[in-house]
Amino acid sequence: MAHTRKLLFLALMVLTLLVAACANDKTPDISKLTENTPPSADQQAVNQPPTGQAPMRITVYHATPDAMYLVPEVHSVDKNDHPAKTAVELLLTDPANKQLTRVLPTGTKLKNLTVRDHIAYVDFNDKIIKNNVGGSATEILIVAAVVNTLTEFPDIHKVQILVEGKTVETLSGHMSVGQPLSRSEGIIKKNM
Amino acid sequence: MHRLVMTIISLAIFLLPLQVSNAAGDAAVGAPDAKPALQAPSLKNDAAVLSKLDKNAKKQITALRWANHIDAVTGLSKLRLVLDVSSPVTVGSSIIGSPVPQLSVDIKGAGPGDIKNTYEFDGRIAESLTVTAAGADTTRLIMQLPLMLDESDYKVFTLRADPANNKPFRVVIDIGQKIPPIKFNFTAGLKDKVIVLDPGHGGSDPGAVGPGKTMEKTITLAVAQRLKPLLEKSGAKVFLTRNDDRDVFGPNASAVDELSARTTVANNNKADIFVSIHINSFTNPIASGIATYYYQKTPYDALLASSIQSSIAPASGLLNRGINAANFYVIKRTVMPAVLTELGFISNPDEEKLMNTADFQQKMAQSIYLGLDKFFNQAARLGGGQ
Repeated sequence: MAHTRKLLFLALMVLTLLVAACANDKTPDISKLTENTPPSADQQAVNQPPTGQAPMRITVYHATPDAMYLVPEVHSVDKNDHPAKTAVELLLTDPANKQLTRVLPTGTKLKNLTVRDHIAYVDFNDKIIKNNVGGSATEILIVAAVVNTLTEFPDIHKVQILVEGKTVETLSGHMSVGQPLSRSEGIIKKNM
Repeated sequence: MHRLVMTIISLAIFLLPLQVSNAAGDAAVGAPDAKPALQAPSLKNDAAVLSKLDKNAKKQITALRWANHIDAVTGLSKLRLVLDVSSPVTVGSSIIGSPVPQLSVDIKGAGPGDIKNTYEFDGRIAESLTVTAAGADTTRLIMQLPLMLDESDYKVFTLRADPANNKPFRVVIDIGQKIPPIKFNFTAGLKDKVIVLDPGHGGSDPGAVGPGKTMEKTITLAVAQRLKPLLEKSGAKVFLTRNDDRDVFGPNASAVDELSARTTVANNNKADIFVSIHINSFTNPIASGIATYYYQKTPYDALLASSIQSSIAPASGLLNRGINAANFYVIKRTVMPAVLTELGFISNPDEEKLMNTADFQQKMAQSIYLGLDKFFNQAARLGGGQ
């Protein structure tokens, strides 16, 4: 009997641990993901929530000032049920790191975001075209920042950019964005 | 009672290592370039734990799915196959050259399970896949390919189970699209070559505008008009997509009509080479330099880009941003080797001033001309295929 009690105690301990692990599982997908991103000098957690609230970590991509590369920036924000929309909204605000440059044109707003068959359909207002400063470097960075930010989520494999609800062939006359695009690793700055 | 307790304990032992190991886990299929090396160190632990506890469970492939991916920046295509397996496996692969190009992948530690025996693809990157059992606990995949692969054209790797995201252990096979070996048989020299020059933007579309109000469309046309007589003097036949400040398709046409009107000029005139001339721009005025972009569709596009960039970069005196693969409409939809050059940043006040000078515009025309001459000489030496 003493033996059984000991085992029961052990089982209860294990059960407690399991429950803790499962509770942890309920955090949105992104929480696991950002932990996997290798740390780098330019990455920093910002917008720390008040203590007591469980944060989720979201990675967005901003440009280097020379328009050559994208750099991930990790934000810690209050948990919600639409982390992908939150990621795009963070992409539409100025970077916390002043060394980096936001790539989406001023006035650009997220109209809608849906995910179907692992493809994110991200719909912006027409300011993404009308307020575009032009230049292929800018257009490359806009497209790559949107695609790379959304493909940080494990369930998003491709991204289709929409403007005012419609597919567009190009944003400023260079890039071909008429079909769903996959992540580009080559434009992310390495060895920072 | 004992039984229940033991079950709970073994379940916990089974699950906990996965929870812990997941912290360093994979970014899953969302990150097409995930490197296998990142997962390698703890692979052994998972395998040991699972083989001890999971002896009676059937080790097999539980699902196979595939998708074509286009890199957002370079436009390069790749086919990604993902196989879910019930427990950790090791993989080996080899390329077979005859009777047809094939990629063979052995998955050791799992049988084929209930997945189909054959899969058909669209033929661009792979034709078909057959799945067979190769001895106990090994599955052999044979992919038939349209073109022979090099070692660098494909990657086979594993991703550990990621219970937090409901992902089992996976085997991933990535195959990049080969450049079709199109024969062009270029001859040396510019004589009788058909060259289409595309001055970027125009008419209702000014392109980028500098802090001093210089418009991209003005500079691109000026350089193209200076380049045309240089090429003609050497015997080339030159077409400009526009000869003045206008839209090529028509005023305020859709962006896609405008771009396809430009590629149509090159495709209909059976051009040997297409050169699109642009000026760059960025929100930060410190961005600077000169760059050439290409889309890898023939064995000559990268050569054309490097011939031009190696000529224009030193002549410009600007920062050399190099040659880059890019998913640009006009270089993708033209059927001949094509490049898009970016002759400095209009958003950079120093470069804006410079590009307004006749001296700089002539230097750019002259160096693109020399780059094109160099290209035909090199392409002729290469013969048809590469």
